[in-house]
Amino acid sequence: MNTTLRQIAVLVAKDLRIEGRTRHTLGLVVVLGILIISVLGFGIGSQPQAAALGTPAILWVAYLFSGVLCFEKTMATERQDGALAGLLLAPIDRSVIYAGKLLSNLTLMLTVAAVITPIGILFFAFDLSPAPFGFIAIISISMLGFAAIGTLFSALVSSTRLQGGLLAMVIFPLVLPLVIASTQQLTAMFRDHTPPGGMGLAVLLAFVAIFLTTSWIVFELVLEP
Amino acid sequence: MTRKLLIFAYWLAAAGTFAAAAVRVFLWTPDEVTMGIIQKIFYFHLPVAINTFVACTVCFVGGIGYLVQRKTWWDDLASAAAKVAVVLCTGVLLTGMLWARGAWNVWWTWYSPRLTFSFMLWLLFIVYLIVRASVEGSQRRAVVGAVYGLIAYLDIPLVYLSARLLPDQFHPADITLAPSMKLTLAISFLPITLITMGLITLQYRLHRARRAASVDSVAMPAAGVQPTFIGGAL
Repeated sequence: MNTTLRQIAVLVAKDLRIEGRTRHTLGLVVVLGILIISVLGFGIGSQPQAAALGTPAILWVAYLFSGVLCFEKTMATERQDGALAGLLLAPIDRSVIYAGKLLSNLTLMLTVAAVITPIGILFFAFDLSPAPFGFIAIISISMLGFAAIGTLFSALVSSTRLQGGLLAMVIFPLVLPLVIASTQQLTAMFRDHTPPGGMGLAVLLAFVAIFLTTSWIVFELVLEP
Repeated sequence: MTRKLLIFAYWLAAAGTFAAAAVRVFLWTPDEVTMGIIQKIFYFHLPVAINTFVACTVCFVGGIGYLVQRKTWWDDLASAAAKVAVVLCTGVLLTGMLWARGAWNVWWTWYSPRLTFSFMLWLLFIVYLIVRASVEGSQRRAVVGAVYGLIAYLDIPLVYLSARLLPDQFHPADITLAPSMKLTLAISFLPITLITMGLITLQYRLHRARRAASVDSVAMPAAGVQPTFIGGAL
């Protein structure tokens, strides 16, 4: 168990170190997120009522597109110079590679969210004060589910040609329940002032649980140098 | 010869039962009180919806079978079923929209969880076909298809539940059916199920034949000609 954790830590540290030195992914993804929010801001920012209610959905659009780009980029790093082949040759379980990739993707996505969410909140005058921690909790759970699917399919799709756009196409329909449940929970919290819970939260947690386990199991089938 | 005759008899039976069901729906089933004649679309809508799930399940089973056994026929079965699922789901969507127009006077509403659900299901499986078409190499395509099919199938219950999170403005409480309506519904299941099974078999045999043809062309490539996979993805 300890060895597994250490292996995962090594993999995550490697990914984050690469990212820290090159800043290939984060810069690009954060700017894309900001751009998406600005475009939507120009479109509906002039209707404050609609904008305030739609903020969770607007943020999700930004998360989805930045997320897909982020997953694509982190996997592309592995494909350079046969890094993935080396990783596959290392004496570690394939599911450890999945866990490592998932954690680094999650870290990156949470960082991205930490930058673009305040911007979205600022632009659309979204009042976070009713439930700031609930907001963070719901977004974090959703990000975990999103990263679970994203990590699996970035490995699956990146080994095929025609990557551009395909990953988004695969991930979007699959994460629809996550997006709906997440926005529903946020709307309930901030418009109706009810605490998170009920079926929305159940769908969120079920999504995370089901796709973490499934991805963990099938990941070794999809990796190919 | 007998085989052709059997196939012909099968499709004749499907067409015959379909006609019989249609006659029963329109002539011998009472109109629903509040919705009137538009409710008759229900006798087509529900069997098609159920058969969509059957086709999705076949696709899921085919994917799992391929991942476990790595036999190409599992993959052919999965992709055949996925195609039929998309066709049926299109049918569900179109009849659902017609019904929505007749009952609520709108073509589309996000407030009907079932309509939204059919739409999300349709997206899931149309992407399956597109993803398959974009992957090169038949083995890789089969793995990608199987994994996507597996995840998509597990996603269906979540999609269903999440669609119900949307506020439901329109749906009446569950419709209670008169006994004669129930009988009509049961009768109309028969042709739709026959057609579904027939289509899946047809597609499956087509895929098998294509694969056989492409395997032959790999086994004996003409000099200087790259072996082509006629069996493409779609």
